[in-house]
Amino acid sequence: MRFRTFPVFTLVALACGLPRDPESTLQRVRGGTLRVGFVVDTPWVTAVDQGAGGVEGVLVAELARGLGARVSWTHGSETPLFTALHDGDLDLVIAGLTSESPWAAKASLTRPYYVDTTTVNGELAEVPHVVAVPPGENAWQVHVERVIESRKSELAALRHAAAR
Amino acid sequence: MSTGQKYRFPPEKWAQREKLRRLSWVSVGMLLLATVITGLAAGQSQAMKTAWISDFLTAIPPAALLVALRFELREPTVRFPEGYGRAISVAFLVTACVLTSIGLYLLYDSVMKLVHREHPPIGTIVLFGRQLWLGWVMIAALVVSAIIGFTLGKLKTPVAEELHSKALRAEADMNRAEWLSEAAAVAGITLVAFGFWWGDAAAAAFISVEIVRDGWKNIRQVIGDMMDESPTKLGERELEALPLRLRAEARQMPWVQEAAVRLREHGHTVTGEVFVVPRADGLSAAELLTETERAAARLERADWRLHGLTVIPVRALEETSPPRVAPNAERREESRDAAD
Repeated sequence: MRFRTFPVFTLVALACGLPRDPESTLQRVRGGTLRVGFVVDTPWVTAVDQGAGGVEGVLVAELARGLGARVSWTHGSETPLFTALHDGDLDLVIAGLTSESPWAAKASLTRPYYVDTTTVNGELAEVPHVVAVPPGENAWQVHVERVIESRKSELAALRHAAAR
Repeated sequence: MSTGQKYRFPPEKWAQREKLRRLSWVSVGMLLLATVITGLAAGQSQAMKTAWISDFLTAIPPAALLVALRFELREPTVRFPEGYGRAISVAFLVTACVLTSIGLYLLYDSVMKLVHREHPPIGTIVLFGRQLWLGWVMIAALVVSAIIGFTLGKLKTPVAEELHSKALRAEADMNRAEWLSEAAAVAGITLVAFGFWWGDAAAAAFISVEIVRDGWKNIRQVIGDMMDESPTKLGERELEALPLRLRAEARQMPWVQEAAVRLREHGHTVTGEVFVVPRADGLSAAELLTETERAAARLERADWRLHGLTVIPVRALEETSPPRVAPNAERREESRDAAD
């Protein structure tokens, strides 16, 4: 019974367009401009021409393509980028972030798109990689996380190709 | 007569006491379950965080009550000649202080979130192979937790009335506040779903006000206990008529000319002193002792909670009842009367 009502509930919610963004980010980006801030962190974020490539660069391209949006890139260091993200001047920040990032207080970190296994202080550890969206733009965050979830295997393949 | 009498719980109330114990165990179990459920769904919502903490907090009073129940019936010792009846009040004091301080902290936290205009980010979760907005999961968890609180409150109220247990009655009230505030959290998250970012922190603020109110109510009650307040009606501030009833009954005894009664609550029991002025027509010392003991035994039967009542023969009574308000407060009362 519960398993049958769950999808129904989700459908009703989707039909009403819930959740919504307080600042309508998703609505604005669709068919408009996706404002992305990036910090280079190879192989996650690499510099390509004026914009970003790498694993997260591909994710941004995928997001923009799906929404029919043009990407406007801002290169900078983390502090100004996260301030801009928090104030609603950016829609996304990619910086090779992990879920333990202290920026979680200022931005909303998404679900991990890839869990890396790497050596931290001589110990093998699992490091989940995430991107950052403005806090409270829940429709936008849900959209980004859905794209992440559906592109997980491609992003993982990119990461492995870069490692080789 | 002995200095330390063991309190014997009346057999007809014993079944209710066992029910109280069982209810407390069920409460602790269910509320911890609710804590786990809301905790798993908490995410970054302030309302969820507040509901989660208050779920955990409401599990403390029944746990404290269970500890107190173990001590309550212990026999008096040299160190504690009055017995352990007040263990219940100690449990109560701890609960009240914890509730109030955490409620104040949560209130501060959520008001600051409103002031700083912090938007609550709520992402997605993958459940049963489906990707859902965490907000819906939060609402489901809150509904489960609210049903638990609602049921517990409904189960506790009749037992509390039967046992005249203030601790249990306060718990039942707390469970009620609990499910009401969870309903508020559902409303808050629904507001967030519709894009009203302030819904979350506003619901959290409302919930914390409820927690503070609970705490304050309990603190006032436990302070009353420690100040040896005369027995009050369950869940109310009004004084019971029990002292008046005892006085009337004592005065009806043929050897008693005048009587005064002073009662206080000791956890689940009521104890105190009855001062009597014997009639002047010459009772012998032996007769007086017999009459006093018989009077104590008879008066104790007036209410099942009475225990360790002492009847003290005195030569004369200056007054039979203290003033309704303390003298300095009385002056204010008088001036208000004059103003009327």
